Amino acid sequence: MIQFEKVVKRFGPRTILKELTLHVPAGEILFILGTSGTGKSVLLKTLVGLLRPDEGEIWIDGQEVSKFSEIEYLGIRKKCGMVFQQPALFDSLTVFENVAFGLRRHYRLPEAEIVSRVHSSLAAVHLPDASEKMPGEISYGMQKRVSLARTLALRPQVLLFDEPTTGLDPITTASVNLLIEELSRQFSTTSIVVSHDMTCALSIADRIIMLDQGRIVEEGSPDHMKRSQVPLVKEFLAEVVT
Amino acid sequence: MIKGYAVLDFVGKSVMDSYQGVTQFIQLVVDSLAEGFRPPLRIRETVQQLYFIAVQSLPIILFCVCFAAMVTILESSFHMKLVIQNDSMVPGFAAMLILRELGAVVTALLVTSRVGAGIAAEVGTMKITEQIDALRMLGIRPIHYIVVPRLIASVIGLAILTIIANLVCLFVAFLVSEIYLGFTSGLFITGLVRFIHFQDLVFSIIKGACFGFVIPLVSCHFGFLCASGAEGVGLATTRSVVASSVIIIILDFVLSFVFSFFS
Ligand SMILES: Nc1ncnc2c1ncn2[C@@H]1O[C@H](COP(=O)(O)OP(=O)(O)O)[C@@H](O)[C@H]1O
Ligand SMILES: [Mg+2]
Repeated sequence: MIQFEKVVKRFGPRTILKELTLHVPAGEILFILGTSGTGKSVLLKTLVGLLRPDEGEIWIDGQEVSKFSEIEYLGIRKKCGMVFQQPALFDSLTVFENVAFGLRRHYRLPEAEIVSRVHSSLAAVHLPDASEKMPGEISYGMQKRVSLARTLALRPQVLLFDEPTTGLDPITTASVNLLIEELSRQFSTTSIVVSHDMTCALSIADRIIMLDQGRIVEEGSPDHMKRSQVPLVKEFLAEVVT
Repeated sequence: MIKGYAVLDFVGKSVMDSYQGVTQFIQLVVDSLAEGFRPPLRIRETVQQLYFIAVQSLPIILFCVCFAAMVTILESSFHMKLVIQNDSMVPGFAAMLILRELGAVVTALLVTSRVGAGIAAEVGTMKITEQIDALRMLGIRPIHYIVVPRLIASVIGLAILTIIANLVCLFVAFLVSEIYLGFTSGLFITGLVRFIHFQDLVFSIIKGACFGFVIPLVSCHFGFLCASGAEGVGLATTRSVVASSVIIIILDFVLSFVFSFFS
């Protein structure tokens, strides 16, 4: 489904992704863990063409996409929904319009269908009553969930989550994690989740990748990770035990 | 020796950076022009921007332009009395200065500090909060969505503001010359008609429109390049105001030079 072949991404003199190779089969829930600043967000953004790789190939559904034009990428972005690290809501639009935004752009749907999809997406993130509020009037946690709903409303085949639970309280975190798992199983969505949350990764991931300085230092099933001897993985695991 | 290399290195880097900046800016100008002709026209957004750029800037522009007019006419009177012991040519002289330079430039610089800074901060914030990435994910071309309405509104807005500023400026100059310098209205108007022509007003409007073209493009350029953090937004804002002001002053010279062949 998704393939990175020796992808290199540089910013000026700094190389962020170093010949990264990665295969994600359809339907998998893949967790990518790593400390801040190792290039996790850059990895996701390179996949959907928000950033372009300097070298290497990226394959999505049998197409090599890294040289696609911005117009050609539209189809990819319709297929791969991304939830950003920050809520990234449009300040001047209501919650409803934020969630409806992508639907109006990507699909020509009758208004009634849009309304019902927006409401079901907001209900899925436990925000049924927020639709007429402005982003500035709701809390950060609610904004993050609206941003989740905005992506879910598009019903993409591939879901990319960039730290979906960072900055959320434990209860909301648990419900967002549950939601990710449910969506993936129910609609057999392929999910790539960037996270710091080892506990959650161990409980819902099919496979976990540990990224360090733009390289994959360990990958495998949750069980494999638990037995790993790689120092960075052990540090992340120590968080879970204590 | 090592110091020499460090200096060379620094100069080299600065030149490279500004070269890159200029090519990126030119790319933005080209893209914005191309996107400007692509449907859909975002009329509502453009009108909102026109309101923000033109209507809301009007009070401060009128206020400042009045003082600029007063000082222009008083200074010219003072200088003429000093040099040729006679200030009878003051009305025409001041009016010419106002139409050729003051009206358009003062307006543009005020709009830069108010609107340009605002646009840079807004776009910079959108950049660092990933809103621009989100737009692209949802199938929107950021230049079409953000830059084009501001560009159209700013060109129209500055052309209109320049006309208003010029007329108000002339009117204030007229009041000062009549009340303080003792010209009769007849004298003022004869002076005006002798020195200035309709094409001066047209050139002034063209200048205003050109400045209006520069301001949002420079602001958006620095906004799009904004680095993360509140500091990044501050820097983008400062740079855009400085760059716009410098470009306006240089462009004013270039346009005046070009227009001088027509009059
Ligand atoms: N647009 C950009 N321009 C320059 N450097 C960037 C850009 N985006 C990210 N970086 C740099 O790339 C590195 C990795 O960033 P990121 O992928 O956001 O880390 P994280 O793993 O915490 O998500 C950081 O050091 C960051 O400074
Ligand atoms: Mg990140």
